[in-house]
Amino acid sequence: MSETMMIFGGWVAAGLTIFLFSFLYKDNPFFKIAEHLYLGAGMGWVFQTMLFQTWIPKVWEPLRAGDYYVLIPSLLGLTLVTQFFPKISWVSRYGFTFIMGYGSGLVIPLTISTDLMKQIGGTISPFMVSEITRGNATSLLNAAIVAIGFICVLFYFFFSVEHKGVIKKASNVGIYFLMLYFGAAFGNTVMGRFSLLYGRFDDLYKYSGERFHYATFVILGAMVLYFIVDHFRTRKPAVEEEAA
Amino acid sequence: MTLIKKHIPLAICFIVGLLTLSTYYIPTKASENYIEVMNKWENIMAGFAFLLGLFSLFFSHYNKMKRKVDGWGYSLFVFVGFFAMVIPSVLSHGRQMVGPDLTGLGWGYRFLFNALSGTMFSVLAFYIVSTAYRAFRIKSAQAGVLFVAALIVIVGKVPLGQMIWETVLGWTHVGVTDIVQWLMDVPVVAGKRGILMGLAIGGIVTALKIVFGIERQYMGKD
Amino acid sequence: MKNFIEKLLKIDRRVIFLALTLLLVFPIVRPLGLPNKNIGNEVKALYEKIEGLPPGSFIMMSLDYDPATRPELHPQAVAVIRHAMRKNLRVMILTLNAGATGLIDEIGERMPKDIAPGKVYGTDYVILPYQPNPVAVMTQIGMDMYKIYDKDRDGALLKDMPVMKGIRNVKDMQLGMCITGTAMLDYWVAYTADKFKFPFAGGTTAVSQMGYAPYLQTGQLKGLMGGMKGAADYETLIGVKEKGTSGIDALSLAHMMVLILIVAANIMMLWLKYL
Repeated sequence: MSETMMIFGGWVAAGLTIFLFSFLYKDNPFFKIAEHLYLGAGMGWVFQTMLFQTWIPKVWEPLRAGDYYVLIPSLLGLTLVTQFFPKISWVSRYGFTFIMGYGSGLVIPLTISTDLMKQIGGTISPFMVSEITRGNATSLLNAAIVAIGFICVLFYFFFSVEHKGVIKKASNVGIYFLMLYFGAAFGNTVMGRFSLLYGRFDDLYKYSGERFHYATFVILGAMVLYFIVDHFRTRKPAVEEEAA
Repeated sequence: MTLIKKHIPLAICFIVGLLTLSTYYIPTKASENYIEVMNKWENIMAGFAFLLGLFSLFFSHYNKMKRKVDGWGYSLFVFVGFFAMVIPSVLSHGRQMVGPDLTGLGWGYRFLFNALSGTMFSVLAFYIVSTAYRAFRIKSAQAGVLFVAALIVIVGKVPLGQMIWETVLGWTHVGVTDIVQWLMDVPVVAGKRGILMGLAIGGIVTALKIVFGIERQYMGKD
Repeated sequence: MKNFIEKLLKIDRRVIFLALTLLLVFPIVRPLGLPNKNIGNEVKALYEKIEGLPPGSFIMMSLDYDPATRPELHPQAVAVIRHAMRKNLRVMILTLNAGATGLIDEIGERMPKDIAPGKVYGTDYVILPYQPNPVAVMTQIGMDMYKIYDKDRDGALLKDMPVMKGIRNVKDMQLGMCITGTAMLDYWVAYTADKFKFPFAGGTTAVSQMGYAPYLQTGQLKGLMGGMKGAADYETLIGVKEKGTSGIDALSLAHMMVLILIVAANIMMLWLKYL
């Protein structure tokens, strides 16, 4: 790939990034173009991945080699598309039943093992005699907090009995454990979102350099100019949204 | 016709579901062969399931253009984006690199898809800050607990926060990272485990309902 | 004063957006170089797990993230692969997320350049093609992986490659890892790790990191990296500072901004209510 294409790529990437960010100031046609391009490009990417990494090697090549068994799952998969044609949409059920039956059959024992038995085991195991003799008072206390918190959260989610008396108290304690979890998760979410934003700014900074002929600055300047012209052109006082 | 449209599909779901379920508890050579065939089939079928999303997007934007609804011109860019990925891919046989050189597909991924996808999700950072300022109000003890947990994680995860903690609360000899670790090891385990178990029970019940034909929404209307 | 506080509380959100932009851009232009001293226990556990594997051990890495979560997860993947290659382990990279193939190609391109110069494709590491239907792949990889993965990304026969010597399913592998911003790690734990008793570790976005605490406590996960901080921690442990570490300055400043905004907004609310 030539240097010219790399520089052009920098301009495209910087432009699309700034177009999408421009929504933060105000909705505008550049944002809408980038948004629709995203939908199409995302689908296009997945389509070509499917084409070259699934359909050709898993269906086309075996068929050419005389392995006609792949026709069964391929036809079952294609039945799903009949969803879009109301008169024959029932044909899609044949594809769906295979997917749903298989998925359900797999998920039942694995969920019982991973999210039920193992979690109950993880709550109880610190209280086994062998663990108690090995651990210390702090780890035992922590294990007790986990156990109490876990049971209380279960009470909170247990709707078959009216929440009053001891059950209400337990479920209230459960809420506090959930709040601690949500709070910690929120703290981490903040970090996650900033990391993504930092990634985009890092790219924009790269494209603002001499190598890319200051693409970021030029496009940013052009967008500012667009908003100024648009402001005077429309002259209509914009209704300020009070969204968060 | 009801037999073909309804009963046979339900029977297939029941048989496939039950056979798949039994492979976990009865690990024989036959059950292993069965699950291997199913894995292979499902792998290919899922490749075609993607077409549902693709056609749905295309139909929706094609109809917008056909009916010339407000902003129909933007729908054209959905197709532009799609072909901007697919045409170079066909030309380079799905390869992003040929030797040390980037192909048109590789260029499209790095400068088009990467920028669009990355930016789309990063925009949320702005809203999380704005929401934190405008809507995060400590109006109850529960909200207070949530705030304290969030505050500790926000401070404890980054070096600047750790430095500030050490300067202000260093005398307590309790490190903020120790508290973050404790939060993750103890109350978070309890809270998340409760949710996990609730979801697991819900998931198992739904799966059983699908196998036994009680839950049929995926089959659409009769 | 009351009017002023009310105005402050209703400040145009674009002012906050601008402040955040300036705060994040500043350390990119002028790095502060804040030290990343406190390493998470679960990151240390992952590092020690890989550090303890004998040369020639086999690691399966499922890189299931796309450009949307690239800044958090790509540095994690690069750091772990770099470490594994340095320890002379064998690495098999695969993905169950179609959006990830481009990022994996980038890793493939960087391998001979800077991640693992001297290592040979097909002998030390291999890249597999994307496969749809994650649960089918996860189930099959525990039995006979060649029934799903007969060829590598470039169409070469996988079974014949030296890197795959002695490998038929996960029972022949020493560690599995999934780096993802989706629920794919949950699936790996349930469908492969637990079912086939396969040692497994994860890399997730910061958003979902806390949700894996129960799996860490039970030992279903041997280690975990969370978000850019997780990547920075791993980079610190292997002594190679890259994209994870460089983001820590910006994260520090932005975190403090959020904190100040939440506290200030609540103090102002209390002021309006009681004073």
